[in-house]
Amino acid sequence: MAEERTSTRSGPGVVLVAVYAVLALAATGRSVLQITEYFSRAPVAYLLSALAAVIYIVATVALARGSRTSWRVALAAILIELVGVLVVGLASYLVPEAFPDKTVWSHFGSGYGYVPLVLPVLGLLWLRRTREAAQRR
Amino acid sequence: MLFPLTVAIYVASAALAILAGWYAWRDRLIDDRLLLVAALLELGLIVQAVVVLVSVGDVGGGGAEQATYAAYGLTLPFIPPAVAYLAIKEKTRWAMGVIAAGAFAAAIMTGRLQQIWDLHG
Repeated sequence: MAEERTSTRSGPGVVLVAVYAVLALAATGRSVLQITEYFSRAPVAYLLSALAAVIYIVATVALARGSRTSWRVALAAILIELVGVLVVGLASYLVPEAFPDKTVWSHFGSGYGYVPLVLPVLGLLWLRRTREAAQRR
Repeated sequence: MLFPLTVAIYVASAALAILAGWYAWRDRLIDDRLLLVAALLELGLIVQAVVVLVSVGDVGGGGAEQATYAAYGLTLPFIPPAVAYLAIKEKTRWAMGVIAAGAFAAAIMTGRLQQIWDLHG
């Protein structure tokens, strides 16, 4: 039971999994819509939207699995997520014409209450807390 | 969108979030009372999904808004069962964090539905 406690999917982790799942859903819905309806308007922004959706799905599943391998997968996904939200967030202010529509990551996720900006930080802190348990199994 | 229904869903979400906070503070696990409040929220969200299906044609504005309207309306009823499932499996006070997060998401998404309705309705 002690080991179960420190897995990425238990304790605070279960809240993280839930929030990631909601964001994965929102990002997937938005990107499917953007790509099917008006892909030609801003292909780069919409592809980034799709990438964000995939990253959120991978992070959700990896955190929910809570095994040793999935800990590493989660780390990679969350690092990409953090870089993504910072780069896209900055780019959406510097070159706004490339982002005619909002994506999950544009303006540092302001359309989603800055959750996309805060979440990877919390995710990395949580992965650090669970690292030992992940390496033991 | 039916404004009274939106208000009722806000109230149910808030009640669920507050109850979850209270349970977390008292270090209590999920029980029938909390599930009952979650079920009330679920009921509201199911009614809302039906209303959304019936009224999606009236939203107008075409593509994006209409699709978001339908997608949010139909996704919302899945939130309470999903968070309840996670909360039942989690045997620490963090279970209540999941409930609160779900209630928060339900309120936000319902607000977005109302917003789209107000734009075009």
